[in-house]
Amino acid sequence: MSTQLDEYLEAEIQSLLTDGRIAELGITVHRREHQLVLGGEVESPARREEICRRINERFPDVEIACDIGITRAQAPTEVEEIS
Amino acid sequence: MIRIAAVGDVHVDSDVLGRFRPALEELPDRADMLLVAGDLTRHGTVEEARCFATEFGGLGVPVVTVLGNHDHQSDQQARVTEVLTESGITVLEGEATVLEVHGSRLGIAGVKGFGGGFAGACASNFGEREMKDFVGTTEVVAERLQEALLSVQVDALVALTHYAPVPDTLIGEPLEIYAFLGCYQLGRAIDAAPTTLALHGHAHHGSERGRTPGGVPVRNVAHPVIKQAYNVYQLLSEEVDLELVAT
Repeated sequence: MSTQLDEYLEAEIQSLLTDGRIAELGITVHRREHQLVLGGEVESPARREEICRRINERFPDVEIACDIGITRAQAPTEVEEIS
Repeated sequence: MIRIAAVGDVHVDSDVLGRFRPALEELPDRADMLLVAGDLTRHGTVEEARCFATEFGGLGVPVVTVLGNHDHQSDQQARVTEVLTESGITVLEGEATVLEVHGSRLGIAGVKGFGGGFAGACASNFGEREMKDFVGTTEVVAERLQEALLSVQVDALVALTHYAPVPDTLIGEPLEIYAFLGCYQLGRAIDAAPTTLALHGHAHHGSERGRTPGGVPVRNVAHPVIKQAYNVYQLLSEEVDLELVAT
């Protein structure tokens, strides 16, 4: 039986992502027709790959679209005055 | 004039080493100190704390931090604090530190903070023991922040927390989880002191700017919110130089 794309699956994936090994609490999961779309930002490409790998491993029949970005880490060019 | 660089939620592990360092090397030309608003590590292990110290230590400016919820994940927060302190990084939890900058005294009071929610949608110290423990923790932490803020005589005062003191900087997060992202008690503590600026992290999908009910500027410096290595805030300025040019 194929995995149902429903609220319980969303919740299970959120739980998987926040377990001790991945520890990513800021990833969003949205259902779009036959796909699950992952969003948010992480600190390295390795983390993004690990997230997709873990979900594919646990739910091999679920199609994943990964829109997770890597947070930029360049120096700022402006200062904000606090008054 | 004092320039404060700030960021939070950098979640350092070995895979992040080197990502922040080029921007951090420029920091002494841009700011007088770096404040980090918690979630320094990914799982709160000693190894990750060493990675943070490698990436964020030895910058040529003071580095002052609080821990975040991720830094408590492995129940090694005391050892994590030791590793950071041994590396010259100041870790605040219910304490304040004073830095002398260009003849002015800047006080920084810090706590991790905790959840509980905000006016109209907050948890109460009532009912089951677990609920009373939850809100009781929030209240104790906020009292410690207030005491720390009031413990110093300075020209400018910064409150540094991981959890949010106002809901303004949570806009963008699901409303249902606000109670896990911050609490009004932190805002009340900040307003009880002559606070100049409040900095926090934790809300990755939140907004950058807000104010406490008492009018203190609040900035969410979570890395996914500011989308650069750190922000720079200028306090006690006579003339504003909005250009930051590294030499």
